[in-house]
Amino acid sequence: MAEDFDAVIIGSGAGGAPIAWTLARAGKRVLILEKGPLLRPQRQRRNQLSDFKRDEIFATGTEKRIKVAGMANFNGSYYSSHVEPDLNDEPHVYNKNGTDFATIEGYTAQVVGGGTQLYGGVSLRFTPRDLALRSFNEGRTLQADGNGDVKREARDWPVSYDELEPWYCAAETLIGVNGTVANQGKRFSKDCYMKPLQPNPISKHVEQGMDALGFARYRTPLAVITEDHEPSGRKVPADPETAKTAYVNRYGDPLGLKSSTWVSLLAPIETKLTLRPNSVVTHLEAEGAAVRRVHYRDAAGNKKVAAGKIVVVACSAIESIRLLKLSALLDPNFDARIHASGLLGKYFLTHAFGGASAQVSAPERYDKSQTLDSDWATDACASDAFLDERGLWAGGAIYNNTSDRALPISLARTHGSQDLDTIWNAFVNDTSMTGQKLVDFLDGNFGRGLSVSFMANQVPLPTNRIELHPSVKDKWGRPVAYIEKRWHEHDVYLMNVFADRCAEILRRGRVTDGLGSGGVYMAENALARCANHILGGARFGTDPKDSVLDRDNRAWEFENLYVTDGAFMPTSGGANPTLTIQANAFRVGDTLKGRV
Amino acid sequence: MADVLPLDDEYVLNFCGKYLARDEFDTRHNYGQYPNPNDPRGAIAEAWRFPIVDTFRSESGSDDDHRYNGVTFVYPGLREAPPKSVGVVGTFGALYDAVPLQPVKDADGQATGYLAVTLKLLKGEAHTYRFVADGVAVNDPVNPQETRLDNGQIWSRFFTHLCTQPVSFEQWELEILNRLTDHILPFRTRDAQNFLSRFYDSADKDNKRTQYAHAYRLDQPVGVVNFIDKLVAREEAHHLVDYKLCLRLIDDVLSSRRPGVARTAWDKEAYIELYDQMGQDSVPGWNTGVYGSPRYFLQILRRHTYTGAFSHPKYGGNVGAAGWAYLEETYRGVAGASAFDWRRALEPPLGRCGDYFG
Repeated sequence: MAEDFDAVIIGSGAGGAPIAWTLARAGKRVLILEKGPLLRPQRQRRNQLSDFKRDEIFATGTEKRIKVAGMANFNGSYYSSHVEPDLNDEPHVYNKNGTDFATIEGYTAQVVGGGTQLYGGVSLRFTPRDLALRSFNEGRTLQADGNGDVKREARDWPVSYDELEPWYCAAETLIGVNGTVANQGKRFSKDCYMKPLQPNPISKHVEQGMDALGFARYRTPLAVITEDHEPSGRKVPADPETAKTAYVNRYGDPLGLKSSTWVSLLAPIETKLTLRPNSVVTHLEAEGAAVRRVHYRDAAGNKKVAAGKIVVVACSAIESIRLLKLSALLDPNFDARIHASGLLGKYFLTHAFGGASAQVSAPERYDKSQTLDSDWATDACASDAFLDERGLWAGGAIYNNTSDRALPISLARTHGSQDLDTIWNAFVNDTSMTGQKLVDFLDGNFGRGLSVSFMANQVPLPTNRIELHPSVKDKWGRPVAYIEKRWHEHDVYLMNVFADRCAEILRRGRVTDGLGSGGVYMAENALARCANHILGGARFGTDPKDSVLDRDNRAWEFENLYVTDGAFMPTSGGANPTLTIQANAFRVGDTLKGRV
Repeated sequence: MADVLPLDDEYVLNFCGKYLARDEFDTRHNYGQYPNPNDPRGAIAEAWRFPIVDTFRSESGSDDDHRYNGVTFVYPGLREAPPKSVGVVGTFGALYDAVPLQPVKDADGQATGYLAVTLKLLKGEAHTYRFVADGVAVNDPVNPQETRLDNGQIWSRFFTHLCTQPVSFEQWELEILNRLTDHILPFRTRDAQNFLSRFYDSADKDNKRTQYAHAYRLDQPVGVVNFIDKLVAREEAHHLVDYKLCLRLIDDVLSSRRPGVARTAWDKEAYIELYDQMGQDSVPGWNTGVYGSPRYFLQILRRHTYTGAFSHPKYGGNVGAAGWAYLEETYRGVAGASAFDWRRALEPPLGRCGDYFG
């Protein structure tokens, strides 16, 4: 017997929660199915103990070994956080020059709140340009695009910035974001930010560097409340500055100040909706153009079925596409409809990202444990003048990181490797670093590291795609996601330009000790890395032959199936994607109110 | 008799769904921690998390809370044929007096097949236990930790936070490990030695009571050996074999290099030479037939040593947060303020954050 709801929403993160919030408050009967656990902040538990801890071993756990048959990194080490999936239970496999590797990259977090529990909270809007890159590039001359791929594959979004703008305001208000409006390269109809906290003093170098380059700067918008947040009823400590802690990026917040979709949206209306954590959806079942049943397993593995007038898939791009493809495997009708355009899984995107990093010189040293994830940002490298001068197809945001290398274990395990697949490697391999040399390492790096990052648009390519792996199965016996990704020559060119600007910010800010810079394409596992920004693969558009979803995120050949995580994006935007996923989900949620 | 705490079904199910529930029972999680390749626990992800050892806090909060853990025992019953009654007996209570486990219910109040109980137990202890399922005593089918009792029986085992009782290593192994880790850490410089002496000696009585109640100085560099002893018993049990083989080989190598000298009297230079050779993966006298790569062992040892020195003291290293305090005192900014005010973010009595309870 299927339980009946107005809406069944699969996933409780940035793409699912805003829709659940909108529909539940409109009196609709909403079921959220979330694969991960419901981990609560202190104030929501009787004994006032949170499931999130300020504990470095929670962010990056103890060693496990990859035991997935057929992987080139079989028996390799990996270290996942307590809310990331176990790679042996549910690996993502990516193809590196014909060889398969299991990777932890490309997972956000499996927990109520999804990636918003774990992220650094950077909540930038995309620019109007980001949403109109096809029209922008008509008639322009681009570097490093010998085959004309960029112009051919660039797409405009079916929704303009002006249409999205009120929903950005809604997201900033309802989620709870601090930051400043002035100097941002986007139009704001109103300032919905909370007041930012004092920057970490190490960031003054970034301030100087950006100023010296004439890069107008603003305080990086961060999803952390700094004032009492009326919409969610959350209160800040007597001294809001105490919210600053390096236990921020990759940590759930035991105090609930970081604005995850759980604490900001869902917890306040917990009694108005049905939330089933620890529930993994195995497949969707359709009759004709309607998805009728959602099949899932509960925490004990029992088979359950739910039905909704509408079904929203928001499991983060890779897992959403996998779920749709798994459903298609079981039913030719579902298969024909979801693959009507042949584009499902194609145009998988992450970001062109990277940056520069160095150490401030003696005698300077700062307490980087009192920080949020970032202090200063600039849109200077998203301006038309900047792009025209360098023949770039699209721009990006640049911001500094303050929470990196801030705690003693993270300093060592990210030494020489910033990503999840290669974490610890450089420290482990450098066996000479011991005793006095370890003292020297700490002397040189503790409280001294300063990084500047960029987050820019990646060229969409049909060959970058998500499929089902032919042989590897998860713990439920279902095929896992298989990822194919390459960097386009223009991506490489763009990353070099941006990495150089990041390095220049540090140089002009007089931070040059150990200065290094580069784009992600240079990394050992460059083909896997994605900054956990997993986008595209089910892009929305106005032409059913050129997209998977319509402008309301509805799958073209279904009457009641929506995909609202980052999979909908035709281009990846020149900024971290979470706020845009949230804004778009509020927009879609508002439309759905009238459809159930 | 240990206090039974109220059972939080949601809390327990958060562990069950992720780690226990599955259709596939191939041993995809056995990376060496189970000698038998077909050990059914090899199908369970992070089986070491059971029983669940967590922070304890009384509902209104009390100064005494930090002395205890909440320990949750979970029995995975079959949904089709759940046992009628399951209890747990162990060295934390009377062995004839099983504490009953309660059915874990889902949000709709339906029994899930899992049974569980949460006990309030002192920190700093190791215990053995068994479940009694419908009158039959069985080891925990999930927890990988087991130990042989004096009577020859094998029972399940766990330890609480800040446990200093050795569970993995013998005395001679601890001695060698102590010297090896000492060489890796940054605490051998004179400044660091002075700091640590001062840190331990100057801790006032109150501090000693709250912070070293179980983990006093241990005569080890910030308790790292104790951390490793616990890590290879639990989270990284797959590396216990590396230590067992390599500590024996190191003992053989150094004994032959310092004939007639007692193990405790081996000089610093003997370790430095060995260490450099391990880094080169070429140790004269090392039996590579027993263990192929001394460098590989050194890599594991360095990661464990550094982690132990600077991870939360609950894991058994970083005693009294001495590792953090060393960084706090050593690293200062231009104006003299510390570059690591770690107490600000952490729970009392370890830290001074009034809002966070650990």
